[in-house]
Amino acid sequence: MARPAEVAFSFDGATLRAPVGESLAAALIAAGLRRLGEGPGSPRAAFCMMGTCQQCLVRVDGRLAQACLVPVRAGMAVTPA
Amino acid sequence: MAFDVAVIGAGVMGCSTALHLARGSMRVALLDRGAICREASGVNAGTLTMQMTRAALIPYALRAHEMWLRMPEWCDGGSVLAVACPGLSVAFTEAEAALLETRAQARRAAGAPIELISGGRAMEIEPGLSDRVLLAGHCPIDGFTSAYLTGRAFRPALLNAGVALFENRAVWGIDREAGRFVLETESGPLQAKRIVLAGGVWLEEMAAWLGVTLTIKVLINQLVVTERIAPAMRTVMGVASGLLSLKQYANGTVLIGGGWQGIGDRQRGGLAVRAENFSGNVRLAAYTIPALREARVVRAWLGLEAETADALPAIGPIPGVADAWIIGSVHSGYTSGPYFGKLLAQAVLGEAPEMPLFPIDRLLAMEHA
Amino acid sequence: MSAPFDLAVLGAGPAGMAAATEAARRGARVVLLEESPAPGGQVYRAAPPGFLVPPDPDRRAGDALRAALATSGTTLLLGHRVWGLGGGPLVPQGAPPLPFRVDALPPDGAPLTLEARALILCAGTHERIIPFPGWTLPGVIGLAAATILLKAQGVLPGRRVVVAGAGPLLYAVAAKLLKAGAEVAAIADLATQGEWARALPTLTARPDLLARGLAWRAALATKGVPVLAAHRVVAAEGADAVERVRLQALSGGTSESFDCDALCVGHGLVPATEATRVFRAAHRYARESGGWVPVLDADRRTSVPLLYVAGDGGGVRGAAAAPAAGRLAALAALRDLGLLDGRAHARARRRPALEHWRAAQGGAAMARMMALRPALVDAIAPETVVCRCEGVTRAEIEAALDDGATEMNQLKQFTRCGMGPCQGRVCGEAAAELVARRVGGRERAGFATGRLPLRPVPMEAVLGDFDYADIPVPAPAPL
Repeated sequence: MARPAEVAFSFDGATLRAPVGESLAAALIAAGLRRLGEGPGSPRAAFCMMGTCQQCLVRVDGRLAQACLVPVRAGMAVTPA
Repeated sequence: MAFDVAVIGAGVMGCSTALHLARGSMRVALLDRGAICREASGVNAGTLTMQMTRAALIPYALRAHEMWLRMPEWCDGGSVLAVACPGLSVAFTEAEAALLETRAQARRAAGAPIELISGGRAMEIEPGLSDRVLLAGHCPIDGFTSAYLTGRAFRPALLNAGVALFENRAVWGIDREAGRFVLETESGPLQAKRIVLAGGVWLEEMAAWLGVTLTIKVLINQLVVTERIAPAMRTVMGVASGLLSLKQYANGTVLIGGGWQGIGDRQRGGLAVRAENFSGNVRLAAYTIPALREARVVRAWLGLEAETADALPAIGPIPGVADAWIIGSVHSGYTSGPYFGKLLAQAVLGEAPEMPLFPIDRLLAMEHA
Repeated sequence: MSAPFDLAVLGAGPAGMAAATEAARRGARVVLLEESPAPGGQVYRAAPPGFLVPPDPDRRAGDALRAALATSGTTLLLGHRVWGLGGGPLVPQGAPPLPFRVDALPPDGAPLTLEARALILCAGTHERIIPFPGWTLPGVIGLAAATILLKAQGVLPGRRVVVAGAGPLLYAVAAKLLKAGAEVAAIADLATQGEWARALPTLTARPDLLARGLAWRAALATKGVPVLAAHRVVAAEGADAVERVRLQALSGGTSESFDCDALCVGHGLVPATEATRVFRAAHRYARESGGWVPVLDADRRTSVPLLYVAGDGGGVRGAAAAPAAGRLAALAALRDLGLLDGRAHARARRRPALEHWRAAQGGAAMARMMALRPALVDAIAPETVVCRCEGVTRAEIEAALDDGATEMNQLKQFTRCGMGPCQGRVCGEAAAELVARRVGGRERAGFATGRLPLRPVPMEAVLGDFDYADIPVPAPAPL
């Protein structure tokens, strides 16, 4: 599979690289970052990848967003929700 | 075999009435066309605030406030997770400030310990508050419950007290035979020596079974809840007009209410939020507690509230029909509900109620006028 | 707000793309709203811009639908999350129906509200995952999720993966994992060999799908991947993420442990009926179609005038059947709007009706393979979390049932199960089965009343910019 050029973005302060346009949830999985936060009784991690389960909620540049619905952009600052 | 009393409608008023009647040694049937506390009593905002209570009801609401907080003690451990906290009612404009002063005075005269404070002082009590408040009413005796737990909280105590609970058993009409009431229900007749109508917005139809014309207005109140967010507030918030209630639960969710109107009716129930009232309600909430801007709305729903012609309760005997009683249509009825049920039970048991009831003769006279 | 569209279509999967195309080509003013950045839906999902994915049959079918849509004259609103619905029958008593109202959240910018005289819902499905110990560990993802990762992004969910659950997605995911360079530790299929054998005859009408399925199986056999028929996941285990999965035959016996760093699991697909619930359309429970489905006529009309459902949201029949259903719905909408006369409608619907009938045979067989299996629900351990958003365990659900909860809305009140941000989509199936066991079936257990927003909506999107004077505060409550 051919991918577009990689760009840099940050998650919780750490710099990551992923092809521009890839879903943020996929980029985090590819980077080995699977635990995205804590829910009541269990950790949160990307689960459905289609916007349903709400487990991949993060903040992108300060705003709440579901990582599986957000494309990677250069310079985006991602933090846990 | 006839029950001593049949209570029709298993909301908070019907449950409390039935419980206190059963503890007064009556054989009680409690019927509902649906499940226990599944209408207004289970879907309201759970606000226990004096500043949204009608002045005439303050003495009742103060007693009910204590009942809610001590519910596990008198309800066999049943709990609605009642929380006591200060309440604030705020004014953003001069007109609202004037309204607030009038209303606080009337409620204070009725016994609610409300003091008027500056916006700055209000922010000390509620650090999450907007800095645009001109004046605030502060009541140290306020609080809230998780109203969705009300049915679960009452149910075991009702059964322990010997109440025959008939959920999902609609009543279609009432006949009188040989001095007894015969309830026509979807699964056969049920006999009782006395009846208590406790049907919320459906009291109009119930009264009509007895040939009594009682107009009940239906309010379709909208409610909105956010997902869990970091602590944003620690009081029960309202506004001078009464058109906002706001609280954050221990789990982080914030409940936004205030009686903004949605679409629905008695027949179809709460049908849909009205888009402009949805945005108006949440704007007022976010204007009051700015941190709500960061939240996401998870759900909006509707609850039906009943109101009489003079917006005061209908609690007492039904004139012209011996052994028939009515309870309901209390503005902010959830707040005062358990106490009103206790009072009516006292009257039905032949005792003198410890506080006056709200007989409906006045309302029937208005119908005839 | 501009003048109402003739037709709004929600969801640009195969059903929605075909519905919009059909209606727009016949001259209707059509708007199509889609949450993803590109049309396609889950099966025909497009890769993000710049991702060059080798073509496969799904991609080719999707591209054909996309090409037709692009030239149809449809107003296409991509990246728009629909959160609010109104109008139609949702009016005060005695008032005439209104045009349907759709509130959407565009990728950036101000919230959008539009109106349409008719509405076709093409919401598709979400995946059913019946809980088991460890299902909430990082590294456990849905089968559909794995498909999206692999097909659209080319990202591996793990290096060594266990694939478990039901239906054709199992083998599709396993084959794609191998092709992408991952190791498949094991496949645990809920179905027996016999169930597959019985489903095969219905697939002979679709030799292309049959051939693809056989190719997947062959690839797995070549690599020596253990395929365990009639097996389920007993538990996923690990400290911070899944490290191993224990599998066991449905008939019992000892469990077998497989080391892995990911588990892809799915127990079938559930029609998404949130929107038809909001409009109070009639529904029926149809286990073999995936669960509760709206009651539909042959032309995809719901019980609500001018409201239609096409695709798997009306009952699982697969992507191949969806375009024909979309066209049937569009034609019915045009007919009901008076934009197509009776004779033209009768003529135009013949071909899609036949196509739909044909494709739905195989789709129904696959749907049966993916229908809910009660044994999985029986096996949920008391301490296992069922509702992940609210942390509600099976034991807590059973306690609420002991306390007298008799249907889904009451269970929600007694436990908070389904009250969280996923709005019951993930836990709903397991919770409803637990209620059904006590009250005598899913019909009696009912379903949670449809509520807005359809998805959690950021407060900012609802608020917009406003001054205090812009808030239409009603008259004060009585003193």
